[in-house]
Amino acid sequence: MADSAHPITVIVNGETHERTVLARQLLVHLLRDSLALKGTHIGCDSGNCGACTVVCDGRAIKSCMMLAVQADGRSIETVESLSGPLEAPDPLQAAFTRHHALQCGYCTPGMLMAAKTLLAENPRPTQDEVRHAIKGNVCRCTGYVNIVRAIQDAAGTLE
Amino acid sequence: MLLPAFEYARPQSVEEALAELGRHRNARVIAGGQTLLNALKLRVAQPDVLVDVSRLEELRAISADADGGLRIGAAVTYDELAGSPLVREHHPVTAAMSARLVDRQVRARGTVGGNVCLADPTSNFPPLLVALGASLSVDGPDGSREVAADAFFLAPYVTAVLPGELLVEVRLPPLAPGERVGYESLQLGTDSWALARASVLVRSNGAIEHARVVLGCGPVPVRQPAMEAALRGAATAESVEAAAELAGEDFEPPTDVHASSEYRRAMGKVMATRAVLAATREDA
Repeated sequence: MADSAHPITVIVNGETHERTVLARQLLVHLLRDSLALKGTHIGCDSGNCGACTVVCDGRAIKSCMMLAVQADGRSIETVESLSGPLEAPDPLQAAFTRHHALQCGYCTPGMLMAAKTLLAENPRPTQDEVRHAIKGNVCRCTGYVNIVRAIQDAAGTLE
Repeated sequence: MLLPAFEYARPQSVEEALAELGRHRNARVIAGGQTLLNALKLRVAQPDVLVDVSRLEELRAISADADGGLRIGAAVTYDELAGSPLVREHHPVTAAMSARLVDRQVRARGTVGGNVCLADPTSNFPPLLVALGASLSVDGPDGSREVAADAFFLAPYVTAVLPGELLVEVRLPPLAPGERVGYESLQLGTDSWALARASVLVRSNGAIEHARVVLGCGPVPVRQPAMEAALRGAATAESVEAAAELAGEDFEPPTDVHASSEYRRAMGKVMATRAVLAATREDA
Protein backbone atom coordinates (compact mmCIF):
# COMPACT_ATOMS: atom_id res chain seq x y z
CA MET A 1 0.00 0.00 0.00
CA ALA A 2 1.17 3.49 -0.77
CA ASP A 3 0.86 6.80 0.96
CA SER A 4 -0.39 9.67 -1.10
CA ALA A 5 0.58 13.30 -0.47
CA HIS A 6 -1.77 16.22 -0.97
CA PRO A 7 -1.26 19.98 -1.00
CA ILE A 8 -3.80 21.69 1.26
CA THR A 9 -4.63 25.25 2.23
CA VAL A 10 -6.01 25.65 5.71
CA ILE A 11 -6.73 28.71 7.81
CA VAL A 12 -5.68 28.18 11.42
CA ASN A 13 -6.49 30.90 13.95
CA GLY A 14 -6.89 33.38 11.11
CA GLU A 15 -3.58 32.59 9.44
CA THR A 16 -3.48 30.84 6.07
CA HIS A 17 -1.13 27.86 5.85
CA GLU A 18 -0.15 25.91 2.76
CA ARG A 19 1.18 22.49 3.56
CA THR A 20 1.57 19.13 1.94
CA VAL A 21 0.08 16.37 4.08
CA LEU A 22 0.04 12.61 3.85
CA ALA A 23 -3.37 11.03 3.34
CA ARG A 24 -3.03 9.25 6.66
CA GLN A 25 -2.11 12.32 8.69
CA LEU A 26 -4.68 13.32 11.32
CA LEU A 27 -5.67 16.95 11.78
CA VAL A 28 -4.42 16.92 15.37
CA HIS A 29 -0.93 15.98 14.15
CA LEU A 30 -0.95 18.76 11.59
CA LEU A 31 -1.81 21.23 14.34
CA ARG A 32 0.62 19.96 16.96
CA ASP A 33 3.56 18.74 14.90
CA SER A 34 3.55 20.79 11.69
CA LEU A 35 2.15 24.05 13.07
CA ALA A 36 3.57 23.67 16.61
CA LEU A 37 0.23 24.48 18.23
CA LYS A 38 0.58 22.27 21.28
CA GLY A 39 -2.51 23.57 23.06
CA THR A 40 -4.67 20.94 21.37
CA HIS A 41 -4.18 17.73 23.34
CA ILE A 42 -4.34 14.08 22.38
CA GLY A 43 -6.12 12.04 25.03
CA CYS A 44 -7.79 8.80 24.02
CA ASP A 45 -7.04 9.12 20.29
CA SER A 46 -10.33 7.36 19.59
CA GLY A 47 -12.95 10.10 19.59
CA ASN A 48 -14.16 9.49 23.13
CA CYS A 49 -12.49 12.06 25.39
CA GLY A 50 -12.73 15.36 23.49
CA ALA A 51 -9.29 16.66 24.59
CA CYS A 52 -8.43 17.31 20.93
CA THR A 53 -11.57 19.40 20.29
CA VAL A 54 -11.04 22.34 17.94
CA VAL A 55 -13.49 24.48 15.99
CA CYS A 56 -13.84 23.79 12.25
CA ASP A 57 -15.91 26.31 10.29
CA GLY A 58 -17.71 27.27 13.49
CA ARG A 59 -18.43 23.75 14.76
CA ALA A 60 -16.66 21.80 17.48
CA ILE A 61 -14.98 18.68 16.11
CA LYS A 62 -12.48 16.16 17.44
CA SER A 63 -9.23 16.69 15.58
CA CYS A 64 -8.11 13.09 16.15
CA MET A 65 -11.18 12.02 14.16
CA MET A 66 -10.56 14.08 11.04
CA LEU A 67 -7.90 13.66 8.38
CA ALA A 68 -5.67 16.69 7.84
CA VAL A 69 -6.45 16.48 4.12
CA GLN A 70 -10.15 16.86 4.97
CA ALA A 71 -9.36 20.26 6.51
CA ASP A 72 -8.38 21.58 3.07
CA GLY A 73 -10.16 24.91 2.56
CA ARG A 74 -11.53 24.92 6.11
CA SER A 75 -11.02 27.43 8.90
CA ILE A 76 -9.77 25.93 12.16
CA GLU A 77 -9.64 27.60 15.55
CA THR A 78 -7.59 26.12 18.38
CA VAL A 79 -7.36 27.09 22.04
CA GLU A 80 -4.49 29.42 21.10
CA SER A 81 -7.07 31.62 19.34
CA LEU A 82 -8.71 32.53 22.65
CA SER A 83 -5.87 34.75 23.92
CA GLY A 84 -2.14 35.26 23.38
CA PRO A 85 0.46 34.68 26.12
CA LEU A 86 0.66 38.35 27.08
CA GLU A 87 -2.99 39.18 26.51
CA ALA A 88 -5.90 39.24 28.92
CA PRO A 89 -7.60 35.83 28.97
CA ASP A 90 -10.79 35.24 27.05
CA PRO A 91 -13.85 35.65 29.33
CA LEU A 92 -14.36 31.89 29.19
CA GLN A 93 -10.75 31.27 30.26
CA ALA A 94 -11.10 33.85 33.05
CA ALA A 95 -14.26 32.12 34.28
CA PHE A 96 -12.48 28.74 34.29
CA THR A 97 -9.76 30.30 36.47
CA ARG A 98 -12.23 31.94 38.87
CA HIS A 99 -14.26 28.78 39.35
CA HIS A 100 -11.32 26.40 39.66
CA ALA A 101 -12.70 24.58 36.61
CA LEU A 102 -9.44 22.76 36.00
CA GLN A 103 -6.99 20.76 38.03
CA CYS A 104 -4.56 18.92 35.78
CA GLY A 105 -5.67 20.97 32.79
CA TYR A 106 -5.43 18.21 30.23
CA CYS A 107 -9.07 18.39 29.14
CA THR A 108 -9.24 22.20 29.35
CA PRO A 109 -8.43 23.16 25.74
CA GLY A 110 -11.15 20.82 24.48
CA MET A 111 -13.64 21.98 27.11
CA LEU A 112 -13.00 25.61 26.20
CA MET A 113 -13.47 25.05 22.48
CA ALA A 114 -16.65 22.99 22.96
CA ALA A 115 -17.99 25.71 25.27
CA LYS A 116 -16.99 28.37 22.78
CA THR A 117 -19.24 26.86 20.09
CA LEU A 118 -22.09 26.46 22.59
CA LEU A 119 -21.96 30.14 23.53
CA ALA A 120 -21.72 31.19 19.89
CA GLU A 121 -25.00 29.42 19.05
CA ASN A 122 -26.70 29.82 22.43
CA PRO A 123 -25.33 32.82 24.37
CA ARG A 124 -27.44 32.18 27.48
CA PRO A 125 -27.53 28.39 28.04
CA THR A 126 -29.24 26.71 30.96
CA GLN A 127 -27.28 24.34 33.16
CA ASP A 128 -28.85 21.41 31.31
CA GLU A 129 -27.80 22.84 27.95
CA VAL A 130 -24.24 23.34 29.20
CA ARG A 131 -24.09 19.74 30.42
CA HIS A 132 -25.31 18.45 27.06
CA ALA A 133 -22.83 20.68 25.20
CA ILE A 134 -19.79 19.21 26.99
CA LYS A 135 -21.09 15.63 26.83
CA GLY A 136 -18.27 14.80 24.40
CA ASN A 137 -15.55 16.09 26.72
CA VAL A 138 -14.24 13.96 29.57
CA CYS A 139 -12.69 15.44 32.73
CA ARG A 140 -11.32 13.05 35.35
CA CYS A 141 -10.40 15.71 37.96
CA THR A 142 -13.19 18.14 38.60
CA GLY A 143 -16.40 16.15 38.54
CA TYR A 144 -17.65 18.75 36.01
CA VAL A 145 -19.50 20.92 38.55
CA ASN A 146 -16.99 23.77 38.41
CA ILE A 147 -16.68 23.53 34.63
CA VAL A 148 -20.44 23.89 34.24
CA ARG A 149 -20.44 26.82 36.68
CA ALA A 150 -17.59 28.52 34.82
CA ILE A 151 -19.34 28.24 31.46
CA GLN A 152 -22.58 29.54 32.95
CA ASP A 153 -20.73 32.41 34.62
CA ALA A 154 -19.10 33.38 31.32
CA ALA A 155 -22.58 33.37 29.79
CA GLY A 156 -24.13 35.30 32.68
CA THR A 157 -26.60 32.52 33.50
CA LEU A 158 -25.05 31.38 36.79
CA GLU A 159 -27.59 31.74 39.58
CA MET B 1 -1.87 7.19 16.35
CA LEU B 2 -0.33 6.68 12.96
CA LEU B 3 -2.84 5.31 10.52
CA PRO B 4 -1.88 2.61 8.03
CA ALA B 5 -0.76 3.95 4.66
CA PHE B 6 -3.47 4.55 2.08
CA GLU B 7 -4.20 6.80 -0.83
CA TYR B 8 -6.84 9.47 -0.70
CA ALA B 9 -9.14 10.63 -3.47
CA ARG B 10 -11.65 13.45 -3.41
CA PRO B 11 -13.84 13.03 -6.49
CA GLN B 12 -15.93 15.96 -7.72
CA SER B 13 -19.08 14.03 -8.60
CA VAL B 14 -20.90 10.77 -7.90
CA GLU B 15 -19.78 9.61 -11.35
CA GLU B 16 -16.13 10.25 -10.49
CA ALA B 17 -16.60 8.58 -7.09
CA LEU B 18 -18.00 5.46 -8.75
CA ALA B 19 -15.09 5.43 -11.20
CA GLU B 20 -12.67 5.68 -8.28
CA LEU B 21 -14.45 2.88 -6.39
CA GLY B 22 -14.38 0.74 -9.54
CA ARG B 23 -10.69 1.32 -10.14
CA HIS B 24 -9.51 -0.15 -6.84
CA ARG B 25 -10.26 -3.60 -5.46
CA ASN B 26 -9.94 -2.46 -1.85
CA ALA B 27 -11.42 1.01 -1.68
CA ARG B 28 -13.51 2.42 1.17
CA VAL B 29 -15.84 5.39 1.19
CA ILE B 30 -15.17 8.06 3.81
CA ALA B 31 -17.53 10.87 4.76
CA GLY B 32 -17.43 12.07 8.39
CA GLY B 33 -15.00 9.32 9.36
CA GLN B 34 -16.33 9.11 12.93
CA THR B 35 -16.14 5.32 12.93
CA LEU B 36 -13.90 4.57 9.97
CA LEU B 37 -10.91 6.46 11.41
CA ASN B 38 -11.08 4.31 14.54
CA ALA B 39 -11.35 1.18 12.39
CA LEU B 40 -8.19 2.34 10.58
CA LYS B 41 -6.38 3.02 13.86
CA LEU B 42 -7.28 -0.47 15.10
CA ARG B 43 -6.25 -1.99 11.73
CA VAL B 44 -9.72 -3.50 11.45
CA ALA B 45 -9.98 -1.78 8.08
CA GLN B 46 -6.94 -1.54 5.79
CA PRO B 47 -8.13 -0.03 2.52
CA ASP B 48 -5.79 0.87 -0.33
CA VAL B 49 -7.79 3.99 -1.08
CA LEU B 50 -10.20 6.23 0.79
CA VAL B 51 -12.73 7.90 -1.47
CA ASP B 52 -13.96 11.07 0.25
CA VAL B 53 -17.60 11.82 -0.59
CA SER B 54 -18.15 14.33 2.21
CA ARG B 55 -18.20 17.35 -0.14
CA LEU B 56 -20.19 15.95 -3.04
CA GLU B 57 -23.03 18.42 -3.73
CA GLU B 58 -25.23 15.53 -4.88
CA LEU B 59 -24.94 13.94 -1.44
CA ARG B 60 -25.26 17.12 0.61
CA ALA B 61 -28.85 18.22 -0.02
CA ILE B 62 -32.15 17.76 1.81
CA SER B 63 -35.26 18.28 -0.29
CA ALA B 64 -38.99 17.65 0.05
CA ASP B 65 -41.25 16.15 -2.58
CA ALA B 66 -44.67 17.69 -3.16
CA ASP B 67 -46.27 15.03 -0.95
CA GLY B 68 -43.94 15.83 1.99
CA GLY B 69 -41.59 12.91 1.43
CA LEU B 70 -37.96 13.79 2.12
CA ARG B 71 -34.81 13.07 0.14
CA ILE B 72 -31.77 13.22 2.36
CA GLY B 73 -28.31 13.11 0.81
CA ALA B 74 -26.06 10.41 2.25
CA ALA B 75 -23.40 12.94 3.32
CA VAL B 76 -25.81 15.14 5.29
CA THR B 77 -24.52 15.42 8.87
CA TYR B 78 -26.53 14.77 12.03
CA ASP B 79 -26.33 18.49 12.84
CA GLU B 80 -27.74 19.38 9.43
CA LEU B 81 -30.59 16.88 9.83
CA ALA B 82 -31.40 18.18 13.31
CA GLY B 83 -31.39 21.79 12.13
CA SER B 84 -33.20 21.35 8.82
CA PRO B 85 -36.58 23.14 8.74
CA LEU B 86 -37.82 20.51 6.26
CA VAL B 87 -36.93 17.60 8.53
CA ARG B 88 -38.31 19.36 11.59
CA GLU B 89 -41.58 19.98 9.77
CA HIS B 90 -42.13 16.63 8.05
CA HIS B 91 -40.24 14.21 10.32
CA PRO B 92 -39.87 15.87 13.73
CA VAL B 93 -38.91 12.64 15.53
CA THR B 94 -36.04 12.10 13.08
CA ALA B 95 -34.85 15.67 13.69
CA ALA B 96 -35.11 15.29 17.47
CA MET B 97 -33.25 11.98 17.44
CA SER B 98 -30.48 13.47 15.29
CA ALA B 99 -30.09 16.34 17.77
CA ARG B 100 -29.34 13.85 20.56
CA LEU B 101 -26.82 11.63 18.78
CA VAL B 102 -23.60 10.99 20.74
CA ASP B 103 -22.16 14.50 21.24
CA ARG B 104 -21.80 17.81 19.42
CA GLN B 105 -18.42 16.95 17.92
CA VAL B 106 -19.72 13.74 16.37
CA ARG B 107 -22.92 15.44 15.19
CA ALA B 108 -20.83 18.00 13.33
CA ARG B 109 -19.03 15.32 11.30
CA GLY B 110 -21.06 12.09 11.32
CA THR B 111 -23.42 11.48 8.41
CA VAL B 112 -26.66 9.60 7.92
CA GLY B 113 -25.05 7.59 5.11
CA GLY B 114 -22.14 6.60 7.31
CA ASN B 115 -24.51 5.57 10.07
CA VAL B 116 -26.55 3.22 7.89
CA CYS B 117 -23.63 1.86 5.84
CA LEU B 118 -21.76 0.96 9.01
CA ALA B 119 -24.87 -0.95 10.15
CA ASP B 120 -23.62 -1.32 13.69
CA PRO B 121 -26.32 -3.17 15.67
CA THR B 122 -26.56 -0.23 18.08
CA SER B 123 -26.74 2.46 15.38
CA ASN B 124 -29.61 4.94 15.68
CA PHE B 125 -30.92 5.13 12.15
CA PRO B 126 -31.51 1.49 11.07
CA PRO B 127 -34.58 0.74 13.26
CA LEU B 128 -36.01 4.20 12.56
CA LEU B 129 -35.66 3.84 8.78
CA VAL B 130 -37.33 0.41 8.82
CA ALA B 131 -40.22 1.76 10.91
CA LEU B 132 -40.66 4.72 8.57
CA GLY B 133 -40.68 2.47 5.48
CA ALA B 134 -37.71 4.41 4.11
CA SER B 135 -35.86 3.45 0.96
CA LEU B 136 -32.22 3.92 0.06
CA SER B 137 -30.86 4.92 -3.35
CA VAL B 138 -27.69 3.08 -4.27
CA ASP B 139 -25.68 4.02 -7.36
CA GLY B 140 -23.33 1.61 -9.04
CA PRO B 141 -21.52 1.02 -12.31
CA ASP B 142 -24.75 -0.32 -13.85
CA GLY B 143 -26.98 2.52 -12.73
CA SER B 144 -29.15 3.31 -9.77
CA ARG B 145 -31.31 1.03 -7.66
CA GLU B 146 -33.72 1.54 -4.82
CA VAL B 147 -33.48 -0.69 -1.74
CA ALA B 148 -36.21 -0.82 0.92
CA ALA B 149 -34.86 -0.23 4.42
CA ASP B 150 -36.09 -3.65 5.59
CA ALA B 151 -33.97 -5.29 2.85
CA PHE B 152 -30.91 -3.05 3.41
CA PHE B 153 -29.53 -4.32 6.73
CA LEU B 154 -28.36 -7.90 6.14
CA ALA B 155 -26.18 -8.67 9.17
CA PRO B 156 -24.06 -6.74 11.64
CA TYR B 157 -21.86 -4.40 9.55
CA VAL B 158 -23.23 -5.87 6.31
CA THR B 159 -25.63 -3.97 4.06
CA ALA B 160 -27.06 -4.34 0.57
CA VAL B 161 -24.42 -1.91 -0.77
CA LEU B 162 -22.04 -4.00 -2.87
CA PRO B 163 -18.35 -3.29 -3.53
CA GLY B 164 -18.15 -0.58 -6.17
CA GLU B 165 -21.51 0.91 -5.17
CA LEU B 166 -22.28 4.12 -3.31
CA LEU B 167 -25.25 5.03 -1.11
CA VAL B 168 -26.49 8.32 -2.52
CA GLU B 169 -29.75 9.18 -0.81
CA VAL B 170 -32.15 8.16 1.94
CA ARG B 171 -35.83 8.68 1.14
CA LEU B 172 -38.36 9.09 3.92
CA PRO B 173 -41.97 8.66 2.80
CA PRO B 174 -44.42 11.32 4.00
CA LEU B 175 -46.43 10.68 7.15
CA ALA B 176 -50.09 10.08 6.26
CA PRO B 177 -52.81 11.91 8.23
CA GLY B 178 -53.06 10.35 11.69
CA GLU B 179 -49.61 8.73 11.43
CA ARG B 180 -47.02 9.43 14.06
CA VAL B 181 -43.58 8.14 14.94
CA GLY B 182 -42.14 6.94 18.22
CA TYR B 183 -38.49 6.30 19.01
CA GLU B 184 -37.20 5.11 22.37
CA SER B 185 -33.80 3.83 23.48
CA LEU B 186 -32.44 2.42 26.70
CA GLN B 187 -28.96 3.90 26.94
CA LEU B 188 -26.05 3.43 29.32
CA GLY B 189 -25.82 7.19 29.77
CA THR B 190 -27.34 10.28 28.23
CA ASP B 191 -27.07 10.15 24.42
CA SER B 192 -24.84 7.12 24.78
CA TRP B 193 -24.45 3.46 23.88
CA ALA B 194 -27.84 1.73 23.55
CA LEU B 195 -28.86 -1.62 24.99
CA ALA B 196 -32.25 -1.73 23.28
CA ARG B 197 -34.15 0.50 20.89
CA ALA B 198 -37.65 0.52 19.50
CA SER B 199 -39.05 2.60 16.69
CA VAL B 200 -42.69 2.64 15.65
CA LEU B 201 -44.98 4.16 13.07
CA VAL B 202 -48.55 4.29 14.34
CA ARG B 203 -51.76 5.39 12.64
CA SER B 204 -54.36 6.08 15.21
CA ASN B 205 -57.78 7.63 15.49
CA GLY B 206 -58.46 7.26 19.18
CA ALA B 207 -57.73 3.57 18.77
CA ILE B 208 -54.72 2.23 16.86
CA GLU B 209 -55.58 1.37 13.24
CA HIS B 210 -52.18 0.30 12.05
CA ALA B 211 -48.72 -0.02 13.57
CA ARG B 212 -45.25 -0.88 12.40
CA VAL B 213 -42.95 -1.84 15.29
CA VAL B 214 -39.20 -2.37 14.92
CA LEU B 215 -36.70 -3.43 17.56
CA GLY B 216 -33.05 -2.38 17.36
CA CYS B 217 -29.78 -3.56 18.98
CA GLY B 218 -30.15 -7.13 17.74
CA PRO B 219 -27.98 -8.18 14.76
CA VAL B 220 -30.34 -6.33 12.39
CA PRO B 221 -33.47 -4.25 12.99
CA VAL B 222 -36.53 -6.55 13.13
CA ARG B 223 -40.24 -5.97 12.54
CA GLN B 224 -42.63 -7.31 15.21
CA PRO B 225 -45.68 -8.65 13.35
CA ALA B 226 -47.34 -10.31 16.36
CA MET B 227 -47.21 -7.14 18.41
CA GLU B 228 -48.32 -5.10 15.40
CA ALA B 229 -51.40 -7.31 14.95
CA ALA B 230 -52.22 -7.18 18.67
CA LEU B 231 -52.01 -3.38 18.65
CA ARG B 232 -54.89 -3.07 16.20
CA GLY B 233 -57.79 -1.53 18.08
CA ALA B 234 -55.71 -0.78 21.18
CA ALA B 235 -56.93 2.38 22.88
CA THR B 236 -55.40 2.24 26.36
CA ALA B 237 -51.90 2.04 27.84
CA GLU B 238 -52.82 -1.36 29.30
CA SER B 239 -53.70 -2.78 25.88
CA VAL B 240 -50.43 -1.44 24.44
CA GLU B 241 -48.49 -3.09 27.27
CA ALA B 242 -50.35 -6.36 26.65
CA ALA B 243 -49.50 -6.21 22.94
CA ALA B 244 -45.83 -5.55 23.76
CA GLU B 245 -45.70 -8.89 25.60
CA LEU B 246 -45.68 -10.39 22.09
CA ALA B 247 -42.61 -8.37 21.06
CA GLY B 248 -39.30 -10.15 20.68
CA GLU B 249 -39.84 -12.22 17.52
CA ASP B 250 -36.49 -12.81 15.80
CA PHE B 251 -34.95 -10.33 18.23
CA GLU B 252 -31.67 -11.85 19.34
CA PRO B 253 -29.51 -9.20 20.97
CA PRO B 254 -26.08 -10.28 22.21
CA THR B 255 -24.92 -10.85 25.76
CA ASP B 256 -21.91 -8.69 26.47
CA VAL B 257 -20.20 -6.72 29.22
CA HIS B 258 -23.08 -4.23 29.35
CA ALA B 259 -26.12 -6.53 29.58
CA SER B 260 -27.39 -10.05 29.02
CA SER B 261 -29.41 -10.96 25.96
CA GLU B 262 -32.36 -11.78 28.25
CA TYR B 263 -32.26 -8.31 29.80
CA ARG B 264 -32.09 -6.64 26.41
CA ARG B 265 -35.07 -8.68 25.23
CA ALA B 266 -37.06 -7.60 28.28
CA MET B 267 -36.08 -3.99 27.72
CA GLY B 268 -37.02 -4.27 24.04
CA LYS B 269 -40.62 -4.82 25.15
CA VAL B 270 -40.45 -1.82 27.45
CA MET B 271 -39.02 0.38 24.71
CA ALA B 272 -41.69 -0.85 22.28
CA THR B 273 -44.42 0.03 24.78
CA ARG B 274 -42.98 3.49 25.39
CA ALA B 275 -42.49 4.18 21.69
CA VAL B 276 -46.12 3.32 20.90
CA LEU B 277 -47.39 5.41 23.82
CA ALA B 278 -45.20 8.33 22.73
CA ALA B 279 -46.61 8.10 19.20
CA THR B 280 -50.22 8.07 20.42
CA ARG B 281 -50.07 10.76 23.11
CA GLU B 282 -52.63 13.49 22.54
CA ASP B 283 -50.10 16.28 22.93
CA ALA B 284 -47.35 14.62 20.89
